[in-house]
Amino acid sequence: MRGNIRRADIWTFVTFIGFAIVVLFLIYPLFDIFRYSFVDKETGEFSFVNWLQFFSKKYYLRAFTNSMFVAIATTFFSMVLGIPLAFFTVRYRIFGSTFLTTLSVLALLSPTFIGAYSWITMLGKNGFLRTLFQSVGVNLPQIYGPLGIILADSLQYYPFISLMTAGALMTIDRSLEEASENLGARPTRIFFDVTLPMVIPSVTGGALIVFMMSLSNFGTPMIIGGNYLVLPTLAYNLFTSEISETPGMASTVSIILMLCASIVIVLQQWLATRRKYASMLVNRPVVKKLKGLRSVLAHGLCYGIVFLSTLPLAVIVYYSFRKTSGPVFQPGFSLASYRQIFFDVPKTVTNSFLYSLAAVLLIAGVGTLLGFVIARKKSAVVRTLDSLLMIPYIVPGTVLGIGFIVAFNKPPIYLTGTSVIIILTYFIRRLPYSVRSAASILKQIDPALEEAGINLGSPPGRTFRTITLPLMQGGIISGAIMSWVTSMNELSASILLYVGQTMTMPIKIYLLVVDGFFGTASAMSTILLFVTGVSMYVVNKYFTRGNETFLSA
Amino acid sequence: MHAIRIIDLEKNFGEVKALAEIHLEIEKGEFFTLLGPSGCGKTTLLRTIAGFYQQDRGDIYIEDELINRVPAYQRNTAMVFQNYAVFPHMTVFDNVAYGLRVRKLPKDLVSQKVMTALKSVHLEGFEQRTPDKLSGGQQQRVGLARAMAIEPRVLLFDEPLSNLDAKLRIEMREEIKAVQKSLGITSIYVTHDQEEALVISDRIAVMNQGRIQQIGKPWEIYRDPQNIFVANFVGKINMLRMQLGAGAGNGFRHASLGKVELIIPAHGTEQLDTILAAFRPEDIDEVGAGGGGNTLTGVLRTVSFMGSVARFEVDVEGQSITIDRHRPREKDIPPIHAPVSFSIPPESILLFDPVSGKRLGKGPQP
Repeated sequence: MRGNIRRADIWTFVTFIGFAIVVLFLIYPLFDIFRYSFVDKETGEFSFVNWLQFFSKKYYLRAFTNSMFVAIATTFFSMVLGIPLAFFTVRYRIFGSTFLTTLSVLALLSPTFIGAYSWITMLGKNGFLRTLFQSVGVNLPQIYGPLGIILADSLQYYPFISLMTAGALMTIDRSLEEASENLGARPTRIFFDVTLPMVIPSVTGGALIVFMMSLSNFGTPMIIGGNYLVLPTLAYNLFTSEISETPGMASTVSIILMLCASIVIVLQQWLATRRKYASMLVNRPVVKKLKGLRSVLAHGLCYGIVFLSTLPLAVIVYYSFRKTSGPVFQPGFSLASYRQIFFDVPKTVTNSFLYSLAAVLLIAGVGTLLGFVIARKKSAVVRTLDSLLMIPYIVPGTVLGIGFIVAFNKPPIYLTGTSVIIILTYFIRRLPYSVRSAASILKQIDPALEEAGINLGSPPGRTFRTITLPLMQGGIISGAIMSWVTSMNELSASILLYVGQTMTMPIKIYLLVVDGFFGTASAMSTILLFVTGVSMYVVNKYFTRGNETFLSA
Repeated sequence: MHAIRIIDLEKNFGEVKALAEIHLEIEKGEFFTLLGPSGCGKTTLLRTIAGFYQQDRGDIYIEDELINRVPAYQRNTAMVFQNYAVFPHMTVFDNVAYGLRVRKLPKDLVSQKVMTALKSVHLEGFEQRTPDKLSGGQQQRVGLARAMAIEPRVLLFDEPLSNLDAKLRIEMREEIKAVQKSLGITSIYVTHDQEEALVISDRIAVMNQGRIQQIGKPWEIYRDPQNIFVANFVGKINMLRMQLGAGAGNGFRHASLGKVELIIPAHGTEQLDTILAAFRPEDIDEVGAGGGGNTLTGVLRTVSFMGSVARFEVDVEGQSITIDRHRPREKDIPPIHAPVSFSIPPESILLFDPVSGKRLGKGPQP
């Protein structure tokens, strides 16, 4: 007897759906962008003119070097903030360190544009800190441009580094440091010989994420960048001005942006395959107690970093309760800004909630099923699907937005102007995280449990429902909450795709900031912050892998 | 009718031949063990029978039904897993009831069968516990009860005791054997522990590199190994490569190793110059200097005190020989480097072809 009896079961169908999603909503739009980058918008014919222009005109190249500069500087400053914070909170007794971590994660998860415009209210042309310093004769440098972007980005993204470093520091087997000490090394020597080399892979991993986030960030440079263009804002500007024509140059810029992102991802993957030192041992490092001045300095440093990163959020909340008259703040407090939201633009709020809810249901459902296929069904087909599902990691929101417009504004599929297209963007942007998190949860569930179910007579579908799913539940829900947060705060793709009817809160905030209505913008931002905070609280309270979940945000 | 019949089974993982030329017939109610080192294919064979792997070639029959194309969940072969695979989100009761509920048995019958199964593994009163409140041994009892409850055609054991500590392992294997005998369910048991296999099995198949090396009763496997692999894997055995010499009459002949001479069985050695002569440590009688027949003398290298025996490593002509001294007393142990003599009864010597590794001649009575 020969032959393969593998019958088409439910998982074959799921794999097929996975491919259909990838082809329709990723490959097809991206291919369109690729195609348009070779179209001369004057003649509509095939040409290399866009590519030649990009590499010959200073205007375009400048955006590229700007992007690199900002991303590198942000990565550097995030490490400067993140590594000491991690080290002190993990190794020394810092009063309220859990609270500090929570605050820094809140800063990390809050919408990027909120931080940016909060810094403007503090250090912009008429910013209150700026006026305060001016009154004592100190002239602070101009916040618009690279300085502002780097400031806002670093203070937002450093928790990637502090969380990953802290994770590594916590899992170093204490015996290793004891062995070093036992062999005669002094404390500093132990740190440089043993401790530091152990956490370097995690620090580098975190640094690459920060680089990537900063590179593809759209909200911050759009709000605080002024004339200082980076690749995502350049692509956005080009696209919105080219809208009536073929988006040739915007496509070229998009592809360059994706190429940069791919290089970072390849680096990250390469790093991930190298040895990780984290051990599962319970021989955790001891938390030392500092005394006197050292303790004061350590506390000052940790609280200082977290204070700076939460300051923008506090300022926003404060302004949301201030009295306003149009764009001008008045003395005293009021709820007028909130009233204005609920009377003038209630649809914006309900849109945000409804779209995110729809997207999260899709993300959790499809992500879990695809995660199962990838974790449990090893075949060349599944491996291909797995690598294809990596694509959204290298597609910045701006690029996905452009792709969706060019692809779904013509036959066979019209989606532009609908709520579906916005839900789909949320879905696609978040899907790979959800798939990966489901797959990694599954890796911690012994396949023998599923085999036991099958072996006892339960068909694959029933086994998944009665055994696998209940075991994955916690991970799926906490992942879904994180997807909810990122969807609620999504700006870079949806700002290209919205029409009046499908406006969401982040878009409205952006428009309000541009028009100078800081009061209403603050109130709406406060709502988003509140949603983010509550979601975080739920994840932390009810699911044990809290901080790990946030890292995949 | 055989409970299990396997004909010319083959399974490859890419380039690796996991199973080749597997032929097996297992009787109803038999306790059959697959024994071998890790990577020998024993677990692959078990999982192929369960339907978790699909063979590349060959047929599997359960009770004369060809099951090649039957999916795993319809094979009615209940497995007891190495790491228990007790569902952590269900109570003990729900775990054991799982397979019965899948079979849509009426509620009262389910609870009746669950109770019976739990009783036979001594877990009465544990019904509402969750697995995290159970010890490893208790979890494995749940695994066993869960498998038994569905009254499968075959019980499959995948190294069920290897995660338990030594004492519990011995206790559990007695229990498994007792439960299996009282229910009379045909069982296939996978282990790498030769002692466990000898104790628990009706018959054993020793496997290596994807092939069955020998099938036999525990006595036969130990006393009458058919090749060098089986001889070495099951129990401890000494092997000396010797030059064959003249006949010694009565079906025996001479063989030499350097200056040392031994009398060995002649049967099957006619065409050969060299031979591998093998004998078990417990078959050797230690003798005073010069006494006894068929005697070897060597230098004592190490002594390992193991409680019930003291194991000597003795150097004979550059080769190491292991001897067990029973009822050891410390004062009787000779000093290291002292000469030690021992005699080997010629009829307890097993001979192997040094090229093919196959057994030559007939073995002693098991």
